[in-house]
Amino acid sequence: MAREIVIDPVTRIEGHAKITIQLDDDGQVADARFHVTQFRGFERICQGRPVHELPSLMARICGICPVSHLIASAKACDEILAVEPPPTGADLRRVLNLAQVVQSHALSFFHLSSPDLLFGFDAEAGGRHLFGVLGANPQLARDGVGLRRFGQQVIESIGGKRIHPAGVVPGGMTAPLAPETRDQILAGLPEALAATRRALDWYASAVRRYEEEATRFGAFPSAFMGLVGPDGTVEHYDGALRVVGDDGAVLAERADPRPYWEYLGEAVEPWSYLKSAYWKDLGYPDGVYRVGPLARLNVADKLGTPRADEELERFRGRLGRTPASSFHYHEARLIEILSCLERLEALLSDPEILSPRVRSMAGINREEGIGVAEAPRGTLLHHYRVDGDGIVQWANLVIATGHNNLAMNKSVAQVARHYVKAEKLTEPMLNRVEAVIRCYDPCLSCSTHAVGQMPLHLQLLAPDGSVLDECMR
Amino acid sequence: MSAAGVLVVGYGNPLRSDDGIGWYAAGLLATDPRLAGAQVLTHHQLAPELAEDISRASLVVLVDAAADGDPGSVSVRQIEPRPATPTWSHRLDPETLAGLAEALYGTVPPIVLVSVAAGSFAEGDGLSSPLRQVLPEVVEVVTGVVGGQRRT
Repeated sequence: MAREIVIDPVTRIEGHAKITIQLDDDGQVADARFHVTQFRGFERICQGRPVHELPSLMARICGICPVSHLIASAKACDEILAVEPPPTGADLRRVLNLAQVVQSHALSFFHLSSPDLLFGFDAEAGGRHLFGVLGANPQLARDGVGLRRFGQQVIESIGGKRIHPAGVVPGGMTAPLAPETRDQILAGLPEALAATRRALDWYASAVRRYEEEATRFGAFPSAFMGLVGPDGTVEHYDGALRVVGDDGAVLAERADPRPYWEYLGEAVEPWSYLKSAYWKDLGYPDGVYRVGPLARLNVADKLGTPRADEELERFRGRLGRTPASSFHYHEARLIEILSCLERLEALLSDPEILSPRVRSMAGINREEGIGVAEAPRGTLLHHYRVDGDGIVQWANLVIATGHNNLAMNKSVAQVARHYVKAEKLTEPMLNRVEAVIRCYDPCLSCSTHAVGQMPLHLQLLAPDGSVLDECMR
Repeated sequence: MSAAGVLVVGYGNPLRSDDGIGWYAAGLLATDPRLAGAQVLTHHQLAPELAEDISRASLVVLVDAAADGDPGSVSVRQIEPRPATPTWSHRLDPETLAGLAEALYGTVPPIVLVSVAAGSFAEGDGLSSPLRQVLPEVVEVVTGVVGGQRRT
């Protein structure tokens, strides 16, 4: 008799989602789906608004990664104004974006995922949280809180607020960087770097217990996508979109993302509000590709900073040139924090960062603009069309979690097939199904900024809807 | 007299009418000469990242709106650290934040919560009449708490 397991909502992610696991007549997992159950309306909300409002309006999409939306939106607006921000304006945007990657990755790794990594997937659910980490490894918890605080303080010191900051506008930035702000950020970097070093060292020993598990934790061949600079270095703000296959071979590299609709499709399924992006050459649903920290490491030749490149070399030496398991998103996140901190140090040590020229002014010069940047979770694309007065007529957003949607579904199915046994639902079984989603750090708040204490409700349903088994937490 | 070492945190949602009382109070306290040297912050909610600021302070005064009570009534309560619990994600209550600060950094100063009963949490960026009237009193209560602590 075919049955269905529902995990609703999924916990320790940003937003609301549920997972359904379909069992076949033999009680084996036939399929699994990751449903995003919250609705996003920003593509319509912005219609009729002046284009200059869009960066700050779009930043409201999310409370975790507002800077990413701010920057992608401002870049799209730059195109509509047909302006290039002054170099220092672009660098200040880079600083904000890097700080956001640091604080967002810290939230994902330390707050949301480290409990699983520290205690194991079989541990009691009651202890799998940051306070549990605090008891077992206080330094790890302190470092997590400290890194997130550092990233937020950088954002606040430049953008005025740590959540929904201002300062990024079409054409550049509203104000130059004050020397004392620069000095304050630089003063915090050594401790942030030390905390990241400690976390990397801890992870190197902790991960050994998961080496075997990682081989079936979202492990499958797929393409990867991310931005790279002219020399193949990871880029978070600008650069060309590069797509590599599972063997690391470059499938495509596009300096201009403009005709993204020619190579990226967005499928809509009736069971989720999250669109499923796919690589058109491979069709739907086979055109799976991944974005985010693991993808950025896989597409790039290097990270471009000395300490992070040493880590990348170790990472590739252990796992190969293009690690295929999504479990390694965790380590990629730590390596990327290190790289972002090094980049912050380099950008802020350049005297030009204090230049007063941070904004280019212009009116409406084009009726279409596309902005692409790397958000913490992956490539983010904002595309607008405006009328001659700069009033928004149409918008399309392709967010990182949408790029990863097919991969997340595939990962859930893989883990469910291995661990979920229908005879008896167990906590470790269900935690693994959720944990593979956490590898991607999906930001479902990119539609409604939903967050809170989310209970997990799982039901095993018969075809007639009757509850065969049920558990809550 | 310097209020160095004192941390004042006004928190709430200033786009939810009276929930923004902490922000309005913080705005006045930031320029109040009786709190010269104090660090005055505004936040939408108490988050784990505040724990380090709290552990470094000699006194913390939190200013928040309360859902219960006659609109405009002001209450003062000492916060005792509560052992960490798992029921949080991005926001904490004052006791849990105090507990987190103690657990993470080994020390927590006296923490006082000044609560102001709200009349309205409706959407809007202004205070209701009762809270507008009580705002000067809230400032006096906070400066009194700081002054009293300095004398002890």
